[in-house]
Amino acid sequence: MSLVSQLKRRQPQIEMFYLQLRNELWKLFGKKRTYIGFGAFLLAQNAMLLTFRFTRWKGDLEKMLDGNGYLAQDYVSALTVAVIMLIPQIILLLPLYAALVGGDLVAKEAEDGTLRMILARPVSRFRLLFSKWLAGMVFSAVLVLVLGGTALVFASIWFPWKGMFVFAPGMVFNVLSANDGVILYIFSHIFIMVNASAILALAFMFSCFNMKPAAATILALSYLFINLVMEGIPFFDRFQNFFLPHHFRMWLLVYSSPTPWDRIGESLCVVLAFNLTAFLIGAAAFQVRDIKS
Amino acid sequence: MIELKDVSKRFGSRTAVDALSLRVPHGEIYGLLGRNGAGKSTAIGMMLGQVWPTKGSLRICGHCVLTQRQMALRKVGAIFESPAFYDYLSGRRNLEILSSYTERTEARRIAEVVDWVGLGGRENSKVRTYSHGMRARLALAQALLPNPELLILDEPSDGLDPEGIHEMRLTIQRLKRELGLTILLSSHLLNEVEQLCTRICVLNKGAKVFEGTLEETRRSGRWVHLVVGDWFKAIQSLEGAGLISGHRDGRFVSMVPDVDTSQLVCALVSAGIKVHEIAPEEESLETFYLGLMEERQGHVSGESTQAAPTPN
Repeated sequence: MSLVSQLKRRQPQIEMFYLQLRNELWKLFGKKRTYIGFGAFLLAQNAMLLTFRFTRWKGDLEKMLDGNGYLAQDYVSALTVAVIMLIPQIILLLPLYAALVGGDLVAKEAEDGTLRMILARPVSRFRLLFSKWLAGMVFSAVLVLVLGGTALVFASIWFPWKGMFVFAPGMVFNVLSANDGVILYIFSHIFIMVNASAILALAFMFSCFNMKPAAATILALSYLFINLVMEGIPFFDRFQNFFLPHHFRMWLLVYSSPTPWDRIGESLCVVLAFNLTAFLIGAAAFQVRDIKS
Repeated sequence: MIELKDVSKRFGSRTAVDALSLRVPHGEIYGLLGRNGAGKSTAIGMMLGQVWPTKGSLRICGHCVLTQRQMALRKVGAIFESPAFYDYLSGRRNLEILSSYTERTEARRIAEVVDWVGLGGRENSKVRTYSHGMRARLALAQALLPNPELLILDEPSDGLDPEGIHEMRLTIQRLKRELGLTILLSSHLLNEVEQLCTRICVLNKGAKVFEGTLEETRRSGRWVHLVVGDWFKAIQSLEGAGLISGHRDGRFVSMVPDVDTSQLVCALVSAGIKVHEIAPEEESLETFYLGLMEERQGHVSGESTQAAPTPN
């Protein structure tokens, strides 16, 4: 049977899946608490902008640039500040909100009783979970796009559009033109999206087990925190590849020159595989569990 | 429509449902009775494929729930006690979401069902603004959207006020009359079951202790209404003959098992007592149910007494 005829045969199922995915997005974006993360990002970004502009932070950066033979006024720009703003938000806020939403996806519905209403209908558990997971991926992408977009917009209000300077101790030190910088800025967000979706998938996995939404979120955050702590212990230097935060830094490596594509590719594969594994473990746990009121 | 064969469910060491077999024929309103924790909700959960049975087979609309769940539930609607919705969305949006897990539903069909349950005009309001009664109607609407042939109602009147309970009862009667649905009704309200159901199953500690028609529950009593010329002489005579185990109110006698009314009449006539009236007492479902539960309690106590070691 040709691919076209197979697709035609499956069209009603594809349409139904699209409807179910749309429902999941309605549920996700219809909730006020979904927007708490976005609001917190906006506040944090503005607070950081003001701190950068009116404290020694800006002066220290200028000194670093001057010390390396660059003209500070050419590189203290909207793009530079946008990346500086991203780093703490990606370490602190992004995991928190991705885990919060991921932890809610299944466990909150089970807690509220709506999951029982859905599973009284002829929909397979796997299909239901897949649509939820996909909605979670869409949410991660939207969250990261808003985060990156607003960071750049706010930074542009306070700083000029000039060259880009990216510095992360031990990883990146690079200066770029505004054009190259904005392209890399957009490109790095693809990797941030992958990171956010992996964190969300981790919380999603826990929420597929019989537990409260808060417990799923806390477990996911604890896992990440333990990873981060262990990664920082010198004894574990040779086990860096086993720690998720090590791979999450691929977005920063995009700004390196020359670009370490092999390292980025490796981390991308690890994070994507982690995401898929988390989904499959969650799906297996959800499949065998009893759904009771 | 529903067929359970030897279905059991254990949660760890606790048996929630024990070798339950039942059959709900097409067109019946079938009542599932039992105290809290008797296993009614677990049994319903297994019928809907939400709870995995430890053993046994379940078929809904001719399809095995375990292997063909999607086919089995295609024409099934369900309502649970305290129905849950997405409170931050409108009633209509909730219906769109829930119905999409069965099939694509036209806006016209949603409007039709909303009108049928009497929610017209409020379907675009957020569910958080709905009263308990309106939520119950919304629950009914979502259950009716896939054009079901079988409706499973798990404590549908739970939390409703007396008017709401009355309305729900009328609605269930309407569902049977107008839509010809087969209905499985799990309820604590014995008068509701008595007024609605044609057949019942009573569960106690996960096991079936009775299954039959309501007619059978009314007749199963051993009490007989007796009007005689001399009540005291009649009682003496019947007790002497070992035909009755008790009497009450100067009008009722309780026959011992395996004795029927004709034997009472014979004994009374032989003793020269005039019999004006004799008829088996029609038991209410409540009397029947409580008697059944008392009997089971006695049965269990008896068993435990027998099993207990005798002190020396």
